[in-house]
Amino acid sequence: MDESELTVRRIREGTVIDHIDEGRGLQVLAALSINGSDGGVVTIALNVPSAKHNKKDIIKVENILLRDDDTNKLAVIAPRATVNIIRDYKLVEKHRVSLPNSIGRIFMCTNPDCVTNSGEPIESMMDVVDKTGRVLKCRYCGRILDITKLRYM
Amino acid sequence: MEMRGADVTSIRDFGRGDLEEIFAATDRITDMEPGRRRQLCAGKSLGYLFFEPSTRTRLSFEAAMASVGGTSFGISDKESSSAQKGESLADVVRMMSIYSDAMVLRHSLDGSSRFAAQVSDKPVINGGSGTEEHPTQAIQDLYTMRKVCGKIDGLTIGIVGDLKYGRTVYSLLHGLGNYDVNVYLVSPESLRIRADSVYDIKKKTEYVESDNLNECIDALDVVYVTRVQRERFPDVEEYLKVRGSYVIGADMLKKMKEKAVVMHPLPRVDEIAPEVDSTPAARYFEQARYGMDTRAALLALILGDGDL
Repeated sequence: MDESELTVRRIREGTVIDHIDEGRGLQVLAALSINGSDGGVVTIALNVPSAKHNKKDIIKVENILLRDDDTNKLAVIAPRATVNIIRDYKLVEKHRVSLPNSIGRIFMCTNPDCVTNSGEPIESMMDVVDKTGRVLKCRYCGRILDITKLRYM
Repeated sequence: MEMRGADVTSIRDFGRGDLEEIFAATDRITDMEPGRRRQLCAGKSLGYLFFEPSTRTRLSFEAAMASVGGTSFGISDKESSSAQKGESLADVVRMMSIYSDAMVLRHSLDGSSRFAAQVSDKPVINGGSGTEEHPTQAIQDLYTMRKVCGKIDGLTIGIVGDLKYGRTVYSLLHGLGNYDVNVYLVSPESLRIRADSVYDIKKKTEYVESDNLNECIDALDVVYVTRVQRERFPDVEEYLKVRGSYVIGADMLKKMKEKAVVMHPLPRVDEIAPEVDSTPAARYFEQARYGMDTRAALLALILGDGDL
């Protein structure tokens, strides 16, 4: 084996998130609350050379399959990411993330004066008004979400 | 949109046809014989929940409801409500939806009316939500332009003053998006329109931003003045420096087109000099009058039996 190659142990069950936009891998980990506390192997590679996009980040996580909310978060933070589902060491499913028409619950509105940040019994709801430009608008206060300052519910 | 039973939480929900329907209803209701007008909402009640101070909006809703034969009741400040005891807005709204046929809500939180409409069984009308919206003010403003200028399409409108925090400004801009107008936004740089609130406005309305009213005053058909509030400025000197630039007085009137009009959502402090009040350009008190008529029409459309 070439000693300059990075070797990462294969996982039996889990998820590989590939083609994460360069530099956003750690943000993805935080957003998906992946911290290794369940004892599973978590591997992250940053600034990996990529034929498609120059550089990319990759996350490999054992025993965790992403839920819809996780995929939606991923689509906002890393729109080029692909999700690979591994079962019994085999790739059984591969798909690119895509933004839905609206995203409920997971993002807090960045407007501190929005009713969704007030303690009222209400969940946030963001309408995706531009999927290519990743423009999210709060359905309640109408403000455009600053995706560089995302906070999660 | 179907007006009967409708919520009025944002002017963004109203297309041009909806606005024209309200304007036509306002024209009809204004000319209506008072006895017939009082039948429009006879036996109906309007609850008001004002968690922020208000003079014109609350009074005009009360007067409007009385003029169409209905009754109104409610709370006019946060201190006299159980919100003071920590009760949620959701519960206050639910209670009001039991007691009344429709409600008007003024609240400091952006999006509060949309939320209230979600929890209420009865129609909710936004009487001002944070710095977000004041849709019935926009309906009144657009109706005023239509009445005093004869049309809205083709107008050149300057919106002057505090554009960052003034909720009337956002509703007006969204409303104007239904018409073919030219818009100048004139304010100190620190009080320019909020970047995170212009996405929808930019799609419908082209506007020019400026900090100097003199640059566009001679092109305007409507000068829509709002208050520049001292408390918005971190230091008083900065406030004093810009304050005079946005005052409409006799000297400014001379620079305006002969038929240009001055509007203001009120209350004003000193941004329109009293000497303007007696000139033909001053239309802000007439505008306040139309506030009552447009609200009466809106209430009749929402609560009435369709005979309008």
